[in-house]
Amino acid sequence: MVGKAIALDYKNLFDLAPCGYVVVGDDGRVLVANDWITSLLGYAAGELDGKRLREIFTMAGRILYETNLAPLLQIQNTVSEVTLDLKRRDGMAVPVIMAASLVPGSSKAADVVRIVFVQAGERRQYERELLDARKTAEQGLREQQADGELREQFIAVLGHDLRNPLASISAATRLLAKEAVSDRGRQVIGLMQGSVLRMSGLIDNVMDFARARLGGGIGLDLTIEDTLEPLIDQVVQELRASRPDQEVATTYAITRSVQCDPSKIGQLVSNLLGNALTHGDRQQPVRLVAETTDHMLRLSVSNGGDPIPDAALARLFDPFVRGQSQGYREGLGLGLFIAHEIARAHSGTLTVSSTPLETCFTFEMPLRH
Amino acid sequence: MSAVFRNNIKITGSGTRCMLFAHGFGCDQAMWRFVAPHFEDSYRVVAMDHVGAGGSDLSAYDARKYATLDGYASDIVEIGRELEIRNGIFVGHSVSAMIGVLASIAAPDMFDTLILVGPSPRYIDDGDYVGGFSASDIEELLASFADNPLAWSASMAPAIMGNPDRPELGDELTRSFCRTDPKIAHEFARATFTADNRHDLARVTAQTLILQCREDIIAAEIVGDYVRAHIPGSTLTLLDATGHCPNLSAPHEVTTAMRHFLSPNPV
Repeated sequence: MVGKAIALDYKNLFDLAPCGYVVVGDDGRVLVANDWITSLLGYAAGELDGKRLREIFTMAGRILYETNLAPLLQIQNTVSEVTLDLKRRDGMAVPVIMAASLVPGSSKAADVVRIVFVQAGERRQYERELLDARKTAEQGLREQQADGELREQFIAVLGHDLRNPLASISAATRLLAKEAVSDRGRQVIGLMQGSVLRMSGLIDNVMDFARARLGGGIGLDLTIEDTLEPLIDQVVQELRASRPDQEVATTYAITRSVQCDPSKIGQLVSNLLGNALTHGDRQQPVRLVAETTDHMLRLSVSNGGDPIPDAALARLFDPFVRGQSQGYREGLGLGLFIAHEIARAHSGTLTVSSTPLETCFTFEMPLRH
Repeated sequence: MSAVFRNNIKITGSGTRCMLFAHGFGCDQAMWRFVAPHFEDSYRVVAMDHVGAGGSDLSAYDARKYATLDGYASDIVEIGRELEIRNGIFVGHSVSAMIGVLASIAAPDMFDTLILVGPSPRYIDDGDYVGGFSASDIEELLASFADNPLAWSASMAPAIMGNPDRPELGDELTRSFCRTDPKIAHEFARATFTADNRHDLARVTAQTLILQCREDIIAAEIVGDYVRAHIPGSTLTLLDATGHCPNLSAPHEVTTAMRHFLSPNPV
């Protein structure tokens, strides 16, 4: 083996190597170029020797070499994986990958730069296709983002505009309730007020959803509430009135003040109770427990009935999850998502457990942020 | 935000006068590593990276601001204000020569001396004026950024493991030099190669030294002569070095010419 290595014909290896070799002197002229690169660029054997290196570069290649590659060679003696174009004798560009090293001179010899070129036409084509694909994907993503934003803005505007006529209906039913109406009329007004309440809850959810998705997250208007019980109980009363046939059992043990956005906490309670009333077994009571510990506010809402399947459980707090049980005919499937976002905005958590015995949602938040 | 942070300012040396080194297109402050240390004994030496290059704060890049050399020049003036530079020396290579010209016009008290290495007030030929490039050359250059962005990306300057021949590079061997973001490099190339600062030259009041190389395809000798003829009272020194980066290829020659200009009669 050793004998064979010594017998290598280096001149032949240089000229007939499957890549281009160029050795450049410190005056920027080619000292010697091998046959491979010479013929690739359309020159006769030996014709590149003595030419300036720049003559085989395209204009972009020359500027890249002078402003970046030459300094790098001086600083770190080597560059590699440079992708550039060489210029053939007829002016055509030839894509190549280049590596170079600078061999520092001595007192007797000047610096020389050794350069290797490998053809890279196919690869350049592939890179270009990748680049185009990336551009197309980025463009598609930008369009989708713009569309999504528009949709969410639309939801926000729609929700806002729906509130005004709803407020008029609400005021009108209150006025009517004060008039002398028949028992049947009173019943109808009660149903109407229940519907107004539910619709206003839906609008709140839709608007909070749009706001949460538009990037701002759910905004809080924080105050310190010395007692949350009346606020929570008001929500309970409203829902009781709209579902007179179902029982809601409450336990309150709120002994500490809580820093929160009271209207959002009311919304969270309303969403959880509404969910339990809709999906729970109507024969069993819905139980609400609201209590404070030393550091936490805990609110739980539980109902009986069929447990939520495991598959649905995992996605329960995603927006628009619905239809996993017979219920969910009303509402947009936003209630639990919004409740979850409200919990998060209060640095709290909303969790769920579901067994054949009961399904229970628990909200916990620190008393102070 | 602090210009010192934004432009990755490194201050070394001691002295009452400040000497600020600015790099050209395609590289970073590493460009001055063989020259700047020689002035640390008598000057407060300041090295910087233009925004988009080297260790600068890329988040400070603003395509509108840096669409022309004025944006880069305003950064120099900000650096000078923060460091309270007065009667300082600005040393600019390549495009930074013109950036320094603009900065010295904007703040004449900040730099009373300009050292311009390979300056060009306009790269594109115009009538009788020879800049060295045709308009189509520069179009080709700018098109190459879109066509072959990898050529201008940081991946071509890989960190290298070690270099026993150059012990002076020390632990910095592990980092990449002359890192550039291809998109920023594209816009910097446009700002550089389409600039026309010929009319600014006459407004320079600083003492000016032009260092000109032989066989420099970026800024040819005829361009150096033009700059000398148009900056009032300027001096041109033709170096033996060839190419565009004598600060790296012939640092001793550059240092000697600078010293000679700064104190022609050494005691």
